[in-house]
Amino acid sequence: MNPITEVNVRVSVVSISHAEARDTVSYVPYKMKYQNREIVFTQLGMRHPTEKGKRMIHVFDVSDEANDYRLEFDAERLTWTLISIMEGRYVR
Amino acid sequence: MFDNVNPEKPMIMHIDLNSAFATIEQQARPHLRGLPMGVTNRFSKECCVIAASYEAKALGIKVGTRRSDAIAICPKFVILESDPSKYRAVYFKLMAIMESYSPKIKMKSIDEGIIDFHGCEPILNGRTLVDIGYEIKQRVKDEIGDWMKINIGISMNWFLAKQAASWHKPDGLDVIDQSNIEDYYKEMKLMDISGIAEKFAARLMANDITTPIQFFHAKEQKLRKQVFQSVVGTYWHRRLRGYEVDDFATHKGMVGRQWVVHKPTYKDDYLLPCFSVLCETIGVKLRSKNLEARGICVQLRFQNGETFREKRMYRSTFYTNQEVYKRALEQFNKRPSGAIVTQINIYTYQLTASSRSQLGFFDDVQKIDDLTMAVDGINEKYGLFTVYSAISLDGTKIVKQKIPFGGTEYFELLLKKS
Repeated sequence: MNPITEVNVRVSVVSISHAEARDTVSYVPYKMKYQNREIVFTQLGMRHPTEKGKRMIHVFDVSDEANDYRLEFDAERLTWTLISIMEGRYVR
Repeated sequence: MFDNVNPEKPMIMHIDLNSAFATIEQQARPHLRGLPMGVTNRFSKECCVIAASYEAKALGIKVGTRRSDAIAICPKFVILESDPSKYRAVYFKLMAIMESYSPKIKMKSIDEGIIDFHGCEPILNGRTLVDIGYEIKQRVKDEIGDWMKINIGISMNWFLAKQAASWHKPDGLDVIDQSNIEDYYKEMKLMDISGIAEKFAARLMANDITTPIQFFHAKEQKLRKQVFQSVVGTYWHRRLRGYEVDDFATHKGMVGRQWVVHKPTYKDDYLLPCFSVLCETIGVKLRSKNLEARGICVQLRFQNGETFREKRMYRSTFYTNQEVYKRALEQFNKRPSGAIVTQINIYTYQLTASSRSQLGFFDDVQKIDDLTMAVDGINEKYGLFTVYSAISLDGTKIVKQKIPFGGTEYFELLLKKS
């Protein structure tokens, strides 16, 4: 069974830009609203850029205490999309 | 001259990401850290592992293990589909770190590379390569992620640096130089030597060379005349002693694409759209390298275990997707009818530098070239397979672009597919 659940929905995100932090953590999503729940992220696994044609997309792999989430920030359209969730209980 | 160990100071550093794809996934998904997990190219019931985490390797799950076998070993084994853009990001960060130490770096594959420090002594400010190695390890953790681990090997040539990097895995840092080279060979087995697989090992053993230390002490003449019966023996004699024989530019001999048929069949209505996608990818690869081909070869594997191979050389060169498809199809259509195809391998050969900038004598040639350039321009801007031939329509939904093993020359192209 694939542990990843595809979601692919626009979400509201509060993000933080740290002026002093090193590149890898200088811009991070802090929390998001998904299915009327507020999910606060506790860890940034990795951020990496990718492209959709010429559109720059920043992919954030983040997690809270329960799950790992993949969020995409479209730098041209300024939108956040929750791409997928991997439930922590699946792997533990 | 080459009978003794190379007396120079070790100035080559080999860097190797441990279980690269699996470690990167563990970095990105903290819940997977410390667990047996792996990465596959295409998720299915019988898919196989292309990268296993160290925790999985400790249980005996390694590259090539089928998912069902892995789950039999460890019921909680987690397997994820590969994520090329993530690996590319790590690759470029690693490359940037390496480039900050020397202009002479060479990425040997997605997860390993070499830094040549020859001539860089003034900018090392008296620091040793071991100091630099530990600094690189820390920078990888700071700039990529704290779960990332790398092996570092330092020696006099590429080969020994790679051997040193795999001496103590994971997270090792070792130097092989004149003082410990014999001790190193005494610790190893023949098949631990990079480049020595079953056939070479059998050849060595047939000549009473059963250990690396015997291989190291073997005379050049014996290796050349008796064991390898060619100059390969001379190269091994030098390589084992730390002399550089592997630092040379390679010539691109072929451009192709291989695909394991998702649902094996003999039917053209399933195979041809996929076949067309493969040909389009080859056309794009050729043009991205500014090459044209004269020869094409189609190899097929059938469900009954038989294989088919047909190749042809043409008088004129070709580079457009349509030309690749047309020529490859001629060969493909010669396959035995009714045979269920399980694997398709198409490659072009006899490559020459492109002469596309020259004016053509015939209008048609110019039009085709203009059209190809226009389509490439659109695909460059909006992503690969934005505009493609109608026959590929169904194939683009089936054939996925996956992580290539070995070279990284098409990484940029691969990631342009949106």
